[in-house]
Amino acid sequence: MPKITIDKQMIECRAGVPVLQAALEAGWDVPHYCYHPGLSIVASCRLCLMEMQMPDPKTREMVWSPKLMPSCQTPVKDGMVVRFDSPAVRKNQQSCMEFFLLNHPLDCPVCDQAGECYLQDYSYKFGQPNSRMVDPKLKNPKKDIGPKTLLYQDRCVMCSRCVRFTQEVSGTAELCIVNRGTRAEIDVFPGKPLDNLLQGNVVDICPVGSLLDKDFLFKRRVWELRGTDSICPGCATGCSIRIDHADGVVYRLKPRYNPKVNAWWMCDEGRYGWKYVHDRKRITAPLVRRGFEETTPAWEELPNILRFRFEEHVREAGSGKVVAVFSPFMACEEAWLLAKFIREVAPQAALAMGPVPLAGEDQHFPVGASGHAVKFTILKEKCPNRRGVEMVLAAAGGTVLAYDEFIEQTLAGAFSAAWIVGGYPAPWVDKNAAKVAEKFSLLVVQDLFPSDLLAGAAIVLPACSWAEREGSFVNAAGLVQPFDRAIDPPDGVKRDGQFLYEIAGFSGIFRAERVRELMAETMSAFGEVSVPPAVAEFAH
Amino acid sequence: MSFESVLLRNRGVTGSTTLKVYESRGGYQAVRKALKMAPDEVVEEVKKANLRGRGGAGFPAGVKWTFLPKDRTRTLLCVNADESEPPTFNNRVLMENDPHQLLEGTMIAGYATRAQIAYIYMRGEFHEPFHIVQKAIDEAYAAGYLGKNIFGSDYALDVYVHRGAGAYVCGEETGLIESLEGKRGWPRIKPPFPAVEGLFHRPTVVNNVETLSCLPHIIERGADWFTAIGPPHSTGPKLFCVSGPVKRPGCYEAPMTITVRELIEREDMGGGMLPGKKVKGVLPGGVSMGILTADELDMKMDFEDPRKYGLLGLGTAAAVVIDEGTDIRIVLRNMARFYGTESCGQCTQCREGTAWMHKIATRIAAGAGRIEDLDILLETARNMGMMPGLSICGLPDGATYPIEAIVKKFRGELEERIRAQPRGRVEELLKVLN
Repeated sequence: MPKITIDKQMIECRAGVPVLQAALEAGWDVPHYCYHPGLSIVASCRLCLMEMQMPDPKTREMVWSPKLMPSCQTPVKDGMVVRFDSPAVRKNQQSCMEFFLLNHPLDCPVCDQAGECYLQDYSYKFGQPNSRMVDPKLKNPKKDIGPKTLLYQDRCVMCSRCVRFTQEVSGTAELCIVNRGTRAEIDVFPGKPLDNLLQGNVVDICPVGSLLDKDFLFKRRVWELRGTDSICPGCATGCSIRIDHADGVVYRLKPRYNPKVNAWWMCDEGRYGWKYVHDRKRITAPLVRRGFEETTPAWEELPNILRFRFEEHVREAGSGKVVAVFSPFMACEEAWLLAKFIREVAPQAALAMGPVPLAGEDQHFPVGASGHAVKFTILKEKCPNRRGVEMVLAAAGGTVLAYDEFIEQTLAGAFSAAWIVGGYPAPWVDKNAAKVAEKFSLLVVQDLFPSDLLAGAAIVLPACSWAEREGSFVNAAGLVQPFDRAIDPPDGVKRDGQFLYEIAGFSGIFRAERVRELMAETMSAFGEVSVPPAVAEFAH
Repeated sequence: MSFESVLLRNRGVTGSTTLKVYESRGGYQAVRKALKMAPDEVVEEVKKANLRGRGGAGFPAGVKWTFLPKDRTRTLLCVNADESEPPTFNNRVLMENDPHQLLEGTMIAGYATRAQIAYIYMRGEFHEPFHIVQKAIDEAYAAGYLGKNIFGSDYALDVYVHRGAGAYVCGEETGLIESLEGKRGWPRIKPPFPAVEGLFHRPTVVNNVETLSCLPHIIERGADWFTAIGPPHSTGPKLFCVSGPVKRPGCYEAPMTITVRELIEREDMGGGMLPGKKVKGVLPGGVSMGILTADELDMKMDFEDPRKYGLLGLGTAAAVVIDEGTDIRIVLRNMARFYGTESCGQCTQCREGTAWMHKIATRIAAGAGRIEDLDILLETARNMGMMPGLSICGLPDGATYPIEAIVKKFRGELEERIRAQPRGRVEELLKVLN
């Protein structure tokens, strides 16, 4: 690993990275706009300039270079000496910040970016307090550039990250730069709006409030939001994301850097796919039916009721008549706890995998790329944890059925009691599933939304969305990725994990980590989870 | 004493743009001679002649060629005919009067650098030169002088003309290359330099029209003849433009021993000032190099002397004479306006700085300047440019030199005019504008 000296401090850094990247990773807050580790280098914002020692052309002695050098464009070299704390560097940062703000409207009070804006941050840290320009500001236009995105050109710093993103990552190249000089604008081509499945990322990488997400526009000040690390449940890719929420309400999802999975990006399907969390149609209370009698029991009574009902059924029909259907939206821990409970009350019970939603084909980006050129993939498997649930079921042993087999065997009368877990964001109960419901004399349905299954259910349990749960998903690449709970479930709903923890015979507070420890005793894969490296706050 | 016409020897000759007349006056002999030499011998000859680039920066052309990687398989040659510096028209004169001289120079440069394709990147507004050069190329192809087996050798060269779309910055060599590739004319970050990775990722040489036009004469008459003209650091004949209130504005040829005063006063050049006009200042090297006061007219128009006068360099050697009666605020504003509209917008300091200077200069010209504006102009000028490493290309250096020079050298007049403004004018104007 090369060793370089920054501001008289020797650091070790990764080989081949730009000095800027090495400095950011080592904890230097170097201001930068155009540089993004996931995009090509243009060295045009001129904010990250540094002083560097160069060999004198005549004496070959190392002397400080008379010019400032862009640290984003200069790769690290062993023995290199650079300086960010020199007067010339500071002077440039200061004058640069003045230039950036010359035509900036300073409309922070109504700007969504305020609070996470690098114009604000850098102005405080590196800028100067007053503006010397008395002349009128240039007012560049505000533009509607796509179905989900607005462009406020007057706030733009022309870092060109968004343009490079559409060229290099999404491969769709909708964005371009028109006009020249201070009148240069980001724009789309006539009749070709910014509309691709990765377009939301341009809002994330915009260091200022120029590109805005219409979905989040004017919804909440960002400093009121709390971020919770999570995993996107949209498809089997399992992107690392952050759920931004406040007062128990989700406001937006943002990607987290994860070099093994999604790098810096996420897709729009995932980004906007969380709306069901706050759907008013969600089931919000448990229901128990006995004959024509319907009651809403307290959650504390439910473990006993469930245990009693299943034990009663096993006594009457035998434990082989029991089946549990697991959802690929369940966390591994939840699946394990449910399997544990089912096998306790009915040792011969069959365990079945629920339907795995598929849509279209896998989509690779940049569009048309293959092999190593692929930078992002949206999988056709639209659920986060088929692999994880399958691992749990396989480890549980006994009869494990695919969904088709479960339907087939149930229609043939193989089962008379079932626990079916749903939790799908979209309606999933088709005619087949509704038909099998009639075959059960004891049916427990644990789901987010009402469906035809509910009519025949003896016990209905409201489920939680992933934002309300904690646990781990196993993605398509086999990585066990933990996610944290962001918000509380709706009133009347108990966290799936907590409830399953209790019926599986544990007491106390459910903690996914503790359950994983227990699982790891038989499934070593859960001994260690995959957590992406933390990125310095000022590396954006 | 008048100077021998070398580059302009065919100007004014009837039919000088035709192959027939060019050949009858000794044309296309140099390239025949060059093709009998080894390519590296041609390079050596040009290096010996110390031919410095005529485009503005004055980098030795032969040395530039030696930066090409030795193991290259394909080299591309770009002819920079994007002459966009405001008072400059020496390339235009060369192309309009003697296109075959340029072609011959292109062929020699192409042979020396082993390029098989040459692109002439021509300024978009050059309609007439385009047709003239294109016609000359067609003639040369018809005569078998371009294409395969040039003059019986196994050297092949194809020449294409590409017309720009009207951007000053495309005269910067990497801006030119980007534009030729069909992209925005945004100068590239260097390294890699074009000689290593340029047009279409190939080793590329970019040379100015006037530079290439010198080549036939160097080959034909030898490097020693060339170095005998002018001082040792600025060899060879050079075209000078003079414009403004002089009797004979135009493009003239002289060795680089000539002074600004001579350029204005000589009977065979500027011919002196128009009656009743007096020199207030001169922008001697296009507008980007800076300004001279009336006391500094003895500056030599070579590659070294301008630095002593606080100028950036020789530039395009096109002098604009400013008349005593001209309000210096208008000159300042004109300079600032040009760069404010021509900055490509890539680097922050240049994009915002040039536009800010334009705003300030416009307000000063409108009679609403403040003394502190002059200091802001000076400071802004110091906060941009390639020389302190603050930008990708040299455009902001060219933008700041004239502004800085005007403010420094004419500060007295500027302050006087600002103080003479009616009281409250600044506040009044800003109120209207904001």
